[in-house]
Amino acid sequence: MKFQLLAASAALVFAFAGAAEAHGPTRQKTSRSIEISASPDKVWKVVGDFQDGSWIPVVEKTEGQGGNDKDATRTLTLKDGATVKETLTKYDAEKMTFAYRITEVDVKVLPVTNYSSHITVTGEGDKATVTWNGAFYRGYPNNDPPAELNDAAAIKAVDDLYDASLKSLKDKVEKGS
Amino acid sequence: MRRLSAAVLALGLTVAGAARGDEAFVTNQTGDDVTVLDLAAGRVVATIPVGGKPAGVAVAPDGARVYVTSPEGKYLTVIDAAARTVAARIPLEGGPLGVAVHPDGRTVYVADWYAAHVLAVDPVAGKITARFEVGASPSGLAVTPDGALLLSADRDSNQVSIVDLASGRRIGTIAVGERPFGVTLDAEGRRAYVANVASNDVSVIDVAARKVIGTVKVGERPYMVALAGGRGFVTDQYASQVTAFDLATLRPLKEIEVGEYPEGVQASADGRKIYVANWFGNTVSVIDVSALTVEAEHAVGDGPRAFGTFLRRTP
Repeated sequence: MKFQLLAASAALVFAFAGAAEAHGPTRQKTSRSIEISASPDKVWKVVGDFQDGSWIPVVEKTEGQGGNDKDATRTLTLKDGATVKETLTKYDAEKMTFAYRITEVDVKVLPVTNYSSHITVTGEGDKATVTWNGAFYRGYPNNDPPAELNDAAAIKAVDDLYDASLKSLKDKVEKGS
Repeated sequence: MRRLSAAVLALGLTVAGAARGDEAFVTNQTGDDVTVLDLAAGRVVATIPVGGKPAGVAVAPDGARVYVTSPEGKYLTVIDAAARTVAARIPLEGGPLGVAVHPDGRTVYVADWYAAHVLAVDPVAGKITARFEVGASPSGLAVTPDGALLLSADRDSNQVSIVDLASGRRIGTIAVGERPFGVTLDAEGRRAYVANVASNDVSVIDVAARKVIGTVKVGERPYMVALAGGRGFVTDQYASQVTAFDLATLRPLKEIEVGEYPEGVQASADGRKIYVANWFGNTVSVIDVSALTVEAEHAVGDGPRAFGTFLRRTP
């Protein structure tokens, strides 16, 4: 399960709730990709709509404003009721790439802070590759983090989210739904 | 010395080739090492393991030593630049991040990200010699060319602190934009340019007057500023671009697309090139100062930050 609920981390979170944007000294990065047997255009139609996050399996609904324009916003409501607020920071349909950042998420939902990412579709003919690059700090903003909010926990959570979502995207596009 | 380089800069075209053989010492935070890049050849000539998630970097005025901070390892690494080896590792405390060297080369200043002070370190004795009180989460540091003042961008206090280095006392604070990170002084030490991560702008400080005299709107998540040829160059991390602006009018000139998450940025000694470390892209982009275009991109290690002065003039 990608979004583990850790009671211990939840307790810690609230202690730092006021320190908006404070973060550790080392930003983490991860990159996951998947090959899909479909044209890049077809894949982009699904993944490139910022106002529809339904290809991400944990997302129940997407509500937002501003379409696919820079500074557009969306709120993802997850199946367990938690919400994630995001802002589009870059969008280039020609290059089939966009970037967004999370403006609001509880670290008990995703144990990261200052998260931003890029999603890019490449390929030709009937082969597409989707690459998802994430950049973020661990959930614990201070020195000597507890295990559930350290760098490794942040990377694992994001990797798990990306892998499950990309697999779901592949299934969805290849089955033509 | 500083005045001389300003004069050389003014001569501009007559010093063609001044940057030849210069090197970049790029801190690769994810890769835990430092890449030495030969800038003329555009190739990596050494990789120096450092550990502790290296981030900040400052080249000594004479180019003999390069100082690198490791915030997770809580130490300062002293690199012998010519030998490309680690000469010493000095244990520090907290989260060492921003770093600057006094013009006399005898003291290294290190910002403690988790505290509200800057450490003064004697790099030969390997000891902390003083702690200067500043604001919360000090990040970028810069010392005036006359060696009198230290400027600290206090990220979580939204201010810049000015410390008198003779007395070790903070003599002023200047309110800037939100979450200031990198601070860059001009060659004369008259103006300082501070990149404000959260308000997407650059505060321009008159150092003597101790006040903000202008603000430049830039792209998303500015990291730090480099100065060359009457222009400022700001790395906009989330926008994957460098915003160039005019230092006289403070008006934006151009957005120059670089690699993903550009961070550390510095001008070459001859003022003709700007070097940009792209943290996600694992490259260094080279921008031509007059043309405002990217002329090359070189591969470096994993997660280059190069937060500070990372260019070394080779003898």
